Amino acid sequence: MLTEKRNWGWHILLILIILAIMLPVVFMISNSFKTLQESYHSILQLIPSQPTLGNYLTLNKQINLLRMVANTFLMAMIVTLGKVGTGLLAAYAFQNFHFKGKRLIYFIFVATIFVPFTTVMIPNYLLIAKMNLLNNVIGVALPQMCDATGIMLFIKAMEKIPSSLTESAKVDGIPSRRIFMNIIIPLLKPSIISVGAIFFINSWNEYVWPTLVLKDKSSFTLPLALQNYISSEGGTNFPLAMALAVIMIVPPLLIYMVFQKYILNSISSSGLK
Amino acid sequence: MLNNNSQIEKAVNSRSGPRVSRKPRGRLLPFLYLLPSALLLLVFMIVPIGYTFYLSFFNWNLIAPTKQFVGLANYVNVFTDPTNQKVILNTLVYIVLLVILNFIIPYFISLIVNFFIGKMKGPYKILFFIPSLFSLVVGAMLFSWILNPVSGPLALFLRDFGMKVPQWTNSGAMAIVVICLITNWKVFGYNFILLLTGLGAVPRNILDAAALDGIPKLRVIWNIVLPLNKGVAIYVFILTIVQGLQYVFTPINVITQGGPYYGSSNLLYHTYLNAFVLYKTGNASALATVTFVIFLILLFIEIKFVEGRKRDAD
Repeated sequence: MLTEKRNWGWHILLILIILAIMLPVVFMISNSFKTLQESYHSILQLIPSQPTLGNYLTLNKQINLLRMVANTFLMAMIVTLGKVGTGLLAAYAFQNFHFKGKRLIYFIFVATIFVPFTTVMIPNYLLIAKMNLLNNVIGVALPQMCDATGIMLFIKAMEKIPSSLTESAKVDGIPSRRIFMNIIIPLLKPSIISVGAIFFINSWNEYVWPTLVLKDKSSFTLPLALQNYISSEGGTNFPLAMALAVIMIVPPLLIYMVFQKYILNSISSSGLK
Repeated sequence: MLNNNSQIEKAVNSRSGPRVSRKPRGRLLPFLYLLPSALLLLVFMIVPIGYTFYLSFFNWNLIAPTKQFVGLANYVNVFTDPTNQKVILNTLVYIVLLVILNFIIPYFISLIVNFFIGKMKGPYKILFFIPSLFSLVVGAMLFSWILNPVSGPLALFLRDFGMKVPQWTNSGAMAIVVICLITNWKVFGYNFILLLTGLGAVPRNILDAAALDGIPKLRVIWNIVLPLNKGVAIYVFILTIVQGLQYVFTPINVITQGGPYYGSSNLLYHTYLNAFVLYKTGNASALATVTFVIFLILLFIEIKFVEGRKRDAD
């Protein structure tokens, strides 16, 4: 065995890293329940001396919070369903059929993961504008659906299904759509959940494309709303911005708490070639 | 239908490879499954790449009904305009910093977790990954709070020692460091998990044999583990650059807007600025095409080292 027992030094280093990345989040939550005054004067007091929901109530007065949560949720949901659905279908085509140009088509699909968003943003913006979908949830969701990572992850999951299962069904003359619906989908449930969770979280946090498409405040998603609370000239009301950020991090955290094992498995598998 | 054992047996025994249906409808079937993804890809990726390339030969402002053909002028401009040169240099600085922060350091930590701390890997994985769940806008807000030169926690802490937090938004170099740190906060755990998984796939018996032979652990890691893990490492290395240069866009736009004087801008942010703030569509398209070519080169490196190894293994 390569592991040793004298390793306290390493544990301390690793715990320090965890503190460094987690403490800002912990203080963000704590400060969101402080008044501006208290957040300024007792900046590192973890438990607010007079916890207040004031920031959340102010937020709710200044912006249409519920509407922005709904916008963000709807966008993330459409993107997730679109990507999971199209990804499953394409992965099934690559995994269960032999057809002309399969290698080349697969290569083109995977290569698109490396295309920087700047290379496609101008034409996509013009297209969405022409379709009259600026400031629209469909307009912000559609281009996000174009992503081949789902196909890659689903192919990896399908590779684990014994081919004898699908081949016997094929010999029986069962049509491919029924093999897909009745054999593949049920067996793939864990990976559908984890890939779906990852897609939802990514789209929930998406910033770049929404800034281009959503200009009207009533169509804003949460990251855009938060950006409006951060002033580059200084003078940001941090407790207020932090309250909004807390609202933003709750759904991803809840999803992670429930599906943590699935999500980490999917992430791990994406790196193994 | 799955319970029919004899038919499964029959299928296994008569294995003649997956069957290709001879009906014409059967041959089209896989393309039917591919259609939705292919359509999305065509409309929002393939055609746009071509159109951006086309636009790079014109002067245009995104709105005017006519475009003026200027040949290669926009490309000449990419490499001769002082602002563009500055931005290209910044991009190189970003790449170096991103590789150190988001690749080398997570790799170092994953080696420690895999080889020096025994069991207990699970909790570290779970906790390191948490910031990956959060928006970079949240990260940008947190860092501008922590590093606020007047009222931020770091400034208050340093005040006790008579020190100050510099006005880092006034310096391009310092802003770049902070922006890279923000992406580091987000992707550290993600890259750590990818690299740790790669290390976990190094065959146990090789390591045990080396340990039995009394080879020092650091030499085992250097001579055996790192070469065996090259595929995953290069994948994460390329990912760090390709994804990192896109990730920094968010903190740049939220905190500095590329300033001061383009000091914290990079190729991607400058493309956005040209396209949607300055309305120089031709310049933006030329910059976007150059970025695309750079990313293509990275893709080929990835294929050569990573996908190529996969084929060898098959």
